[in-house]
Amino acid sequence: MKEYNKVYLNDLDMELKSPLFERFETTYHIYREAAAGANGGKTGGGCGCN
Amino acid sequence: MEVKPEEVVGVIKSIFFYIFLSIGLLGYAQNDSIFTYKKKVLEAIEVDLLIGYYEQEGVHASVTGGIGNEDLQNTAPTVVIRIPLNVDDVLTVDAGLSAYTSASSSNGNPFNQTGASESGYDEDNSGRVPAGGSPWIASSGASRKDILTSINLSYVHASEDRNQYWSANIGGSFEYDYESFGFGGGFTQLWNEKNTEFSLKTQVYLDQWKPIIPTEIHEFEIYGNGFLVDDRSYFYNVSVTDSEGNGVVSYLPSNFTSIDDVNRNSYSVSLEFSQILSKRLQFSFFADYVIQKGWLANPLQRVYFADRPNFYIGNFRSISNYEKPSNKDIFHLADDIERLPRTRIKFPFGMRLNYYLNEFIVLRSYYRKYSDDWGINSNTVQFELPIKFSLKLKLTPSFRYYDQTATDYFASYNQHLSTQDFYTSDYDLSAFSSRQIGGSLVYTDVFSKYKLGKISLKMISLRYQNYQRSDGLSAFSVSTGFSFVID
Repeated sequence: MKEYNKVYLNDLDMELKSPLFERFETTYHIYREAAAGANGGKTGGGCGCN
Repeated sequence: MEVKPEEVVGVIKSIFFYIFLSIGLLGYAQNDSIFTYKKKVLEAIEVDLLIGYYEQEGVHASVTGGIGNEDLQNTAPTVVIRIPLNVDDVLTVDAGLSAYTSASSSNGNPFNQTGASESGYDEDNSGRVPAGGSPWIASSGASRKDILTSINLSYVHASEDRNQYWSANIGGSFEYDYESFGFGGGFTQLWNEKNTEFSLKTQVYLDQWKPIIPTEIHEFEIYGNGFLVDDRSYFYNVSVTDSEGNGVVSYLPSNFTSIDDVNRNSYSVSLEFSQILSKRLQFSFFADYVIQKGWLANPLQRVYFADRPNFYIGNFRSISNYEKPSNKDIFHLADDIERLPRTRIKFPFGMRLNYYLNEFIVLRSYYRKYSDDWGINSNTVQFELPIKFSLKLKLTPSFRYYDQTATDYFASYNQHLSTQDFYTSDYDLSAFSSRQIGGSLVYTDVFSKYKLGKISLKMISLRYQNYQRSDGLSAFSVSTGFSFVID
């Protein structure tokens, strides 16, 4: 795909990662659920104890 | 010789053509910068301010062995600043606070509410003071609230052709009973006209507990087998009863051994591959491999054994009511703290697939499969549907489904056996599914209408999510974010 054909792909919503503003939700998922990782968030660190 | 006007014009045109061509070539020779102009990786300083509020209710408090008030409120302000150091390099500073109050954590010492030995009174002239506490009531103990402070610095360098990126990061977080120090690095390669991308990242966290353990076990650890009758103990002169309401001094959390390793280290490798499939479709595949070592249990969380007699502090008439929220005045003394293996290997992998339906709607999808060597397997599915009402306004409804199996070491309140090596009654490690429904409203200041000096507003975001877990835990979060550009 040439650069000039990437108009749609360059849309912010097409980014292949979580928006920064989702990070708060990712944090409580890490606390409340056993699974973590493979989402660009933390894979370890912190006690996750509250 | 006759010269035709058309020939004169043609010659003049040719002369001008060669003059302009020469000037152009001369300019190229003298200053080739206009042909080698590089777009900055980041044009200007960007600042994101985020603040989130989270609240939950539940009935499976892990600090009180899997039953009890799980109410929790959390407020977390964060600032993220991205600074272009030059055309190729960007430094990001990410700092935040996370302040919480937790009913579950407050019951590390559940006896504060009534004062236990410190403010009791001698009601029955036995020398023993009635005291109480309940897993259903938040205590006024110090562990009811805490503030986590975190800071992370990351640096990214891009190659001349923007086909390679190198990154490094370092950071730490601090709270009352826990410290975390982390660092890592990564490399990204793009090729195939930037249609294909591969990333490799590694991350290390070196964490340390400053363990807080439940009060009755803490006193046992300090004063030994006689801690109930030792006048230096918190429990001196406090009435402990068995299941029949008889006053006893035979309670001993004898399975308890002191925490001998306060470290918890995590090492991870992350791979990501992404590919553009068409003008409207792209996907990425990613996988992490994580090894954790050290004290992986939470020292504050109680466990109760089915094969040991039960001991209480408080009104013994309420024992039959112990597992109900109406219990306000009796507390079951712990048999031990949570114990889990010293290593854990996690293997999550997943993919994202984004499709540009039209200029108004994008479909974003995410799936993750997770497994670890503690017996937990889980699936996560998420869909988001950003809908643009105009250039400035966007609404994004979202839905997330999650399920997990229980760890091999989980059992509910008072169901573990004292002969087990590992045990937990933390419902975050139990089998459940959850559903999260919500969305966000984003306003984008396309033409930087709102400016204050050199600071221009870029975006405002407002998010709401409702989270329901099949074990009864219910939560919601509200967050807002402001993005600015500093020229």
